[in-house]
Amino acid sequence: MPTNRRLIISHFAVAFAAFLAACALGVWQMWVRSPLSGPQDIPERYYQSVTAHGVSMAFVLTTFFIMGFGYYVAETALKRPLPGRNWARAAFGIGVAGVLMAVVSIASGKASVLYTFYPPLTATVWFYVGLVLVVAASWIWCVLMLVAMGSFKKANPGVPVPLAMYGTVANAVMWLWTTVGVSAEIVFQIIPAVMGWTQTIDVGLSRTLFSWTLHAIVYFWLIPAYIAFYTMAPRAAGGRLYSETMGRLTFVLFLLYSLPVGMHHLFMDPEHSTGFKFVQMSLTALVSVPTLLTVFTISASMELAGRLRGGKGLFGWIRALPWERPMVLATGLAFFMLWFGGGGGLINMSYGMNAMIHNTSWVTAHFHLIFGGTVVIMYFAIIYEIWPSLTHRQFRSVPLQRLQLWLWAIGMMVMTIPWHVLGLQGQWRRVASFDYSDPRIAAWGPWVVVSLVGGIVLLVSAVLFVWNLIPRRYSPALEPKPGYAFALAAHPPHRVPGVLNGFVLWNILVAVLMAAAYGFPILQFFLGDSPQAVIHPVTGG
Amino acid sequence: MNEQNGDEHQKEDRRWFLASGLIVAGVLAFSLTVGLVILPIAQAPNAGIDAWTAICRAMGLSPGTPAQPQPPSNARAAPVSQVRWTPKTLRTLAVADPRPGAALAEAVCSSCHGEQGMTISDDFPRLAGQSPQAIYKQLSDYKTGARYHPQMTPVAQQLTTDQLAEVAAYFGGLHEDIALGQAQVLAEDDMARLILRGDPARRLPPCESCHARGAGGPPEAPVIAGQNAAYLARQLHAYKAGARRNDVYRRMRDIAGKLSDDEITRLSETYQGTY
Repeated sequence: MPTNRRLIISHFAVAFAAFLAACALGVWQMWVRSPLSGPQDIPERYYQSVTAHGVSMAFVLTTFFIMGFGYYVAETALKRPLPGRNWARAAFGIGVAGVLMAVVSIASGKASVLYTFYPPLTATVWFYVGLVLVVAASWIWCVLMLVAMGSFKKANPGVPVPLAMYGTVANAVMWLWTTVGVSAEIVFQIIPAVMGWTQTIDVGLSRTLFSWTLHAIVYFWLIPAYIAFYTMAPRAAGGRLYSETMGRLTFVLFLLYSLPVGMHHLFMDPEHSTGFKFVQMSLTALVSVPTLLTVFTISASMELAGRLRGGKGLFGWIRALPWERPMVLATGLAFFMLWFGGGGGLINMSYGMNAMIHNTSWVTAHFHLIFGGTVVIMYFAIIYEIWPSLTHRQFRSVPLQRLQLWLWAIGMMVMTIPWHVLGLQGQWRRVASFDYSDPRIAAWGPWVVVSLVGGIVLLVSAVLFVWNLIPRRYSPALEPKPGYAFALAAHPPHRVPGVLNGFVLWNILVAVLMAAAYGFPILQFFLGDSPQAVIHPVTGG
Repeated sequence: MNEQNGDEHQKEDRRWFLASGLIVAGVLAFSLTVGLVILPIAQAPNAGIDAWTAICRAMGLSPGTPAQPQPPSNARAAPVSQVRWTPKTLRTLAVADPRPGAALAEAVCSSCHGEQGMTISDDFPRLAGQSPQAIYKQLSDYKTGARYHPQMTPVAQQLTTDQLAEVAAYFGGLHEDIALGQAQVLAEDDMARLILRGDPARRLPPCESCHARGAGGPPEAPVIAGQNAAYLARQLHAYKAGARRNDVYRRMRDIAGKLSDDEITRLSETYQGTY
């Protein structure tokens, strides 16, 4: 039973409050883009809403969930008190203050710049200060995770750091690297522009710095889902983790290959040469390695569980799995969506094929499937798994949890399949409305309506999720038990190689890869006359 | 026994360390060689360039495909405006001192544009709260002849570039409740729809996508919520007839050309009614 449960629950509360609001906004956005006329269908409102939706989902839900889950893992996996509790509380306060600043900026219409930092559109300075505070809060969390692991290793020399904690610290280390790009962009380019200290901005440089962050941030969101795959799902299925080393390798490979790859977001940009785009593309391809390692290892772990439960034959073990348990069901659904999202991603990252789908709904479909599908469904499963130990209450109704997970997966597929189709037909993303009376795009209308139906199913699922978490008076109380039982490996390691128990070597390798992949592409902006763009402050109408 | 174990552990650690480093270095070397050397050499003949040029382009050391030379033409380019939003111009506006601008406004501008630019006459536009870039652009255009007005042209020609910026800074800094762009369009009729949503069927963007305060559109787009209706209508008609031509990329001539006379009247009234 974690002692910091109030702190952890507070993080989750902020995360899922933002999530619920963002889901509702998402439905409205699809409504106004559809041929059915929605309320308030003004482009200005649309961009305001997309900004709020993106900031809530990408920065608030994720950062607060990951911080809360990190504290939970640090306490329960290391079985030690959390170091720096006051720092953790301060970080929470800083993060909430930042969120409030960003929310007020967006609500006042002075920050409708979407959640990506692409100048020359710039918002009010409070928007950026707010988001910097959220990042600063997460940096405190990163340091606390590193300190927690360090003190565990000091107290237990030679003992492997538990896998759940190793993954969490890998994420913290990656996040510290990740945020360097966007922080440099905000501090050295955007804030001077917003404050009026400079009149122009080098958008090539800012897009490059943002690309540094833009892909790795996705893995920051993804790693908790992978931690659940490795350390929660096998036990929930009634088996053991097939290989602990695979887990460590996966987290390390994510750290290495999520960073020097961001230029695949800039394939169609003119400011970079084809050679470096190719280099980053080939490094991007390696991200599929940890993904496939995980698919293999978790499938093998599930097979172990299925056979232990009496499953026979080539596929009989699949049926024998306890699908009624939310964690097992969510893992299955997450893998299902990962195939589609990952497949789409392989097309996005291929330099040539990218040209077909660049800036179309295909891209939106891809990241909703990966993030909304694979990642967030595992956030749900994690919460269902650990919520009783946080609230000291058992759940009354597991069927409602299953219903919620099914609705989420079905809604996500119904929403994103039309987007994929429309993307191939050239439907552009980030557009407030379409003129369906134009015969060239009239046929898009029905697809958009179908995706709206998917969005409504997702909203119902989101409401049901929050409903499921509300503690009921009549829920049976739970005896406080120490800790949480993470999955054991089939062969629990007594010792792991030094490189898989720490991060020194991997940090060196990340530095080398980043220098090779981003060194010259960034340096070039300082060598010659780089074109400057006029700043466009969007301070609201 | 323990020592032996320790030795083996050290050996194992070293093996992992070396193997990890070598694999990552190998992957990186492969990417760099293929991306920066092999592919450029292989593709150079297709582009009709030598291998070395191809490698330099792939690395970003020399520009990619050079711009094609344009066919020769004797036509004289006639820009619609001499104003360029260069860092220098933007800087001039950013640092302009509004105080001399205020003195100038009181002495010269106020006789037509009213006290603090708040005229109620239909003959002249209101200026209070107008964006400095918009005022600077129009004054510069009067000065250079890109826009003509019997009264404004001689006034603007008397002023230096810095004075134009100072006057612009003064009017831009007036942010009382009655200034331009303070109110929102509240009506719910077809004009409000045109203002807020545009008309995609006629390829008309929403007026507010450029003319709202802080819309983030072209820097010179003026704020027009609260502007005198008759002035707005006159400008739209002038654009529609092609009498006024200082709009960059013909944006306003194209838009006004698609509006009916009735729409021009009602749009202008809706905009005036917003303050």
